[in-house]
Amino acid sequence: MWLSWLSRSLVLLVAIAQVRADADFMSVRTSLAKDYSGKGGDPGEKYFHESTFHHHYDGRFASNTLPESESAPYLSALIQTYLSTMSDIGAETWIMHGTLLAWWWNQKIFPWDSDLDVQISEPTIHFLAEYYNMTEHHFNLPGVEGGRTYLLEINPHYVVRTTADWRNVIDARWIDTSSGLFIDITAVRKDDDRRRAGRKGAMMCKDKHRYEENDIWPLRESLFEGVSVKIPYEYTKLLQEEYGSKSMTQTSFEGHKFNEDTKIWDRIRGNKHLSRLRGRSLDELPSRTSPLEHRLS
Amino acid sequence: MATLLRDHDNMDVSSDSGSEDGFYPRSSSFHLSQYSRPLIDFVKNEWQTNSKYHYHSASSSPSNTSDAPRWVQITLSLIAAPRFRRYVLVYVILLISCWACWKQVLSPRLEEHAALISSLDVHTKDQVGGWFGTNALPQFDDLVKIRTLDPSLLPSDTKATSGPSQRRLIVVGDVHGCKAELVKLLEKVSFNPNNGDHLIFTGDMINKGPDSLGVVDLARKYSASCVRGNHEDRVLLLRHEMYAANTLTADDASSAVDSKEEFLSTDYQERKLARQLTHDQAKWLDTCPVILKVGQIPDMGQVVVVHAGIVPGVPLEKQDPASVMNMRTIDLDTHVPSSSKSGMPWTKLFNKHQSLLYSDLKESDPDAKASTTTVIYGHDASSSLNLKTYTKGLDSRCVKGGKLTAMVIGDGGESSTVSVKCRNYMDG
Repeated sequence: MWLSWLSRSLVLLVAIAQVRADADFMSVRTSLAKDYSGKGGDPGEKYFHESTFHHHYDGRFASNTLPESESAPYLSALIQTYLSTMSDIGAETWIMHGTLLAWWWNQKIFPWDSDLDVQISEPTIHFLAEYYNMTEHHFNLPGVEGGRTYLLEINPHYVVRTTADWRNVIDARWIDTSSGLFIDITAVRKDDDRRRAGRKGAMMCKDKHRYEENDIWPLRESLFEGVSVKIPYEYTKLLQEEYGSKSMTQTSFEGHKFNEDTKIWDRIRGNKHLSRLRGRSLDELPSRTSPLEHRLS
Repeated sequence: MATLLRDHDNMDVSSDSGSEDGFYPRSSSFHLSQYSRPLIDFVKNEWQTNSKYHYHSASSSPSNTSDAPRWVQITLSLIAAPRFRRYVLVYVILLISCWACWKQVLSPRLEEHAALISSLDVHTKDQVGGWFGTNALPQFDDLVKIRTLDPSLLPSDTKATSGPSQRRLIVVGDVHGCKAELVKLLEKVSFNPNNGDHLIFTGDMINKGPDSLGVVDLARKYSASCVRGNHEDRVLLLRHEMYAANTLTADDASSAVDSKEEFLSTDYQERKLARQLTHDQAKWLDTCPVILKVGQIPDMGQVVVVHAGIVPGVPLEKQDPASVMNMRTIDLDTHVPSSSKSGMPWTKLFNKHQSLLYSDLKESDPDAKASTTTVIYGHDASSSLNLKTYTKGLDSRCVKGGKLTAMVIGDGGESSTVSVKCRNYMDG
């Protein structure tokens, strides 16, 4: 009874909000009976919502966080499937922020971090919005029965090119519909204001990060979580600017210590170092089962 | 000398304007002294000029009669003496120059020395939580990290007994496509590959200047060695990207070959060059390693050629390749290198590190020099030719109208630098 009421009121809400909010719960729901998206508390203009239980989960697809020991393989598959999909499409994407720092240390996701950040260029988001918005991508994963389905969702506010639109700084999401974990995708755009002031090559994101063309391009090819990844050209400079020099040298972070022999972040509990065992070996990668129809180049 | 000075004193007195000797400061001292010296000093007769009276008059001066205590009188008369004032002036100048020398030269040097020593101290490492180079070094595709030079190309360990060196290494700084200057330089060092000379480039052979392709062809013709500079790095990365995206053969004239090239605005020149390179030229540039291990050279220890620099204390295998091609300065706490021009030049920390290593080993190892490393590099045009004990910077701004420099290393490790003037290709 209350469910139908919820669905009816949601449909109504969507009808009013038009594209001002993310795809509504009922149209994308997988198994949940209740919407945990947290959109109730957000202003109407905000498209993507962080769940009521954790800001790195999409509440339309999960009601709770995964235990830390289990989230690592989910995150790993999440970035692997995203990177391989973008590479197959020919859409240029690269890692940034905390994910770039994690790559710097050992080319693996930080064990304490459930946040993944990637960037794309403005022409690429136009292409993705045109051909791939709300597309589902199914992958077979080693040891996961039935595989997992990932959703690429574009924030319609991507056409708004100003930092004044502070509620919609994330331009797209790659969402694991089985766990609610997602990757934040932000577009890097020409910074018209700074260019008018004579700064040739000035770039910006809606989250107010500013870059120079030559700091990001040409991109370098490397590996992250065992798959091909693109890295901004001046990666040490970008990391130094964003996190300071110590981010690349300090061997203890967030209750973890970097083991210089194994090159793995070990969890420190009391005085004991607990070696993290990664459940899966890296040569078993997710494989795509759903076809891709459009390619960018 | 003493009498001469005294004569000058007396001229003060006899001259009424002080301008006849053309020495204005004295004339002003004269005017001042008018108020502080007793009137008797102005008497113009022999009593003044003859030294035997002079001393007497000073000690038992008529100012005794005034009310002031005797020590004040003496102090006043001392200050009043022109010679004293001149000396005060000299001492003040001396003091100021000593202070300036301390402030400008000695103190910063001592501070820098202390900062470098503390930066290399292992206790600092614990304090700051770690140094650069502890991470698992990322893999990069299409990039050769380290190569070792064929040992048969090295100059012999002992000096040639007669005549010129049998084998020489000619290491050339950033050419940037200045082929004419490169040819001139090779003529000047009488480069002869058939006679045991081997050519090595410190990177940035291409881009900016007039004939990048010509420089690459010349290097290939002489089977030269090279390292990857930031300009090779950018151009080759672009070329690989274009190859993968199938836009390599696009016509130069139609600049908007795809949305990406329309989107990016600053790399037009690099894209053009990336397209101009032939497959063989690009393949040859791709083989240039980030680090070239030259080998042992007498008096220089282990010689390494890189484009920009090396982080001290980190093994060559663990050097971050992008930093090796781009660094100029280094953070003293964490040893994180940076391409920024402001900060401590990496060469200072590297030289200090090597000289500490050398003085540590010197006691126990008779061949301590062999355990040190000398880095030959380019990249830093702003500090131009920069030769230090363990670092040899060869970029002398050729493409901007400076010079093109080669370091010639002959038998027995004898080295010298030779340069030729360059045209300025960066105007307009």
